[in-house]
Amino acid sequence: MSQAEVDTTQLLKGVLDLAVLAVLADADSYGYDVVRRLRENGLDHVGDASVYGTLRRLYQAGALNSYVVPSEEGPDRKYYGLNNRGRKALDQSAQTWASLSNALNHLLNGRINGHGK
Amino acid sequence: MASNQHADDVTTYAATVRAQLADLPATERDALLEDLEQHLAEVVAEGEGSLADRLGPAEGYAAELRAAYGAAQPSAPAAQTNGEHLVDSVRAAAARIIAADWVRQIAAFLPDLRPAWWVLRGYLAALILTAAFSVGYSLGPIPDPITKRGLAEILAMGIAIWLSVRLGRRSLNLRQGVRVLAVSANVLIALVAIGVLGQMHTFTYNYSDVTGNATQQAPFNAAFAAGPTTNIYPYSQDGKPLTNILLYDQDGQPITVEQSEAQTSYPNGADGRAITNAYPLTQRHLNGDPVVAPRVAFPPWPTPSPSPSTTSSPSATSSPTPNPSPTR
Repeated sequence: MSQAEVDTTQLLKGVLDLAVLAVLADADSYGYDVVRRLRENGLDHVGDASVYGTLRRLYQAGALNSYVVPSEEGPDRKYYGLNNRGRKALDQSAQTWASLSNALNHLLNGRINGHGK
Repeated sequence: MASNQHADDVTTYAATVRAQLADLPATERDALLEDLEQHLAEVVAEGEGSLADRLGPAEGYAAELRAAYGAAQPSAPAAQTNGEHLVDSVRAAAARIIAADWVRQIAAFLPDLRPAWWVLRGYLAALILTAAFSVGYSLGPIPDPITKRGLAEILAMGIAIWLSVRLGRRSLNLRQGVRVLAVSANVLIALVAIGVLGQMHTFTYNYSDVTGNATQQAPFNAAFAAGPTTNIYPYSQDGKPLTNILLYDQDGQPITVEQSEAQTSYPNGADGRAITNAYPLTQRHLNGDPVVAPRVAFPPWPTPSPSPSTTSSPSATSSPTPNPSPTR
């Protein structure tokens, strides 16, 4: 694992909840599909266990509902979706993230695009 | 065929992950791992290669899972009520305790003690049954092997232990609901057994291990410490049981003993009055069985005894010095 990957993993940990909530806000989804959609959106280093653990934690916290959908070509799939509390949590976290990322962009101004390090 | 291989892969991989997370508290572990197999099956169904190839070693997967789940980041800070805050802080405190070294060490060897509990559980279950069927008997923790009843109890204990261990070996992979039932049953056995053990106050003192060293014999008063005297069994010096021995105190009053739960029948004198101080008393348990004499260990008399009137000191040195006052 390269230094960049380690950094990404560490940074991702804090915002994985937000990312998973955002993916599920688009459409209800099952574990491996959430992983795939996160990766399609550029979060290449997100681990399957991290996503599964996050889904279980959000579910236990009461932010998600879940239901099983039979699949024709494979095993049954457990779908997760946002409930009211999940949507509220997503809205608040999104605002927090927006102000945090503004602040960081400001702090890092001029270092982005390869000028840092 | 391929689906069979997939199923095996999922089972093996999930089992390793579960083993790695065995130290988590049961509720947390169940909440986290409830759909692990289902999730892994989804993963395996959508792609090529084994789970280990695609997700890395199961140990790493478990560590990542632990981090992702145990990150304890409140997912919805503003939506939390006070109650949830409390629950969270209790969980955090519990997590700290669970993370402590000594707790980990204890938690690590507790599973090794499981078979020991199975054996104990069988013994306790038999003990409870014995207690239920022997109202009126004095009950000991160990059956008396010289009676038929005791032999039956030992046999019952053997069978109960065998069943208990058999049951235990099969119960390692129970479903959640059944597991709760099983744990409740175990707790019930333990609680009832504690109650039964608490009732056992009638221990018979056994002096046989100190014979040969008369000075170390426990004082007679120890018998009183074990409970009230409910009968007296007189023996001659050579160990023959005596009957109808009349006992009187220093004032000439008949000596009587405490009433036990056993029924005592006193002989009637020629004048029709009951004789209450003729020992041993004839007693029957509530179920009608006669009360039998206890096994006793006789004190070692000094040998050779020069005369039947033994006023010599009980020390075995048999010194010829006459002792004017009898030592008692």
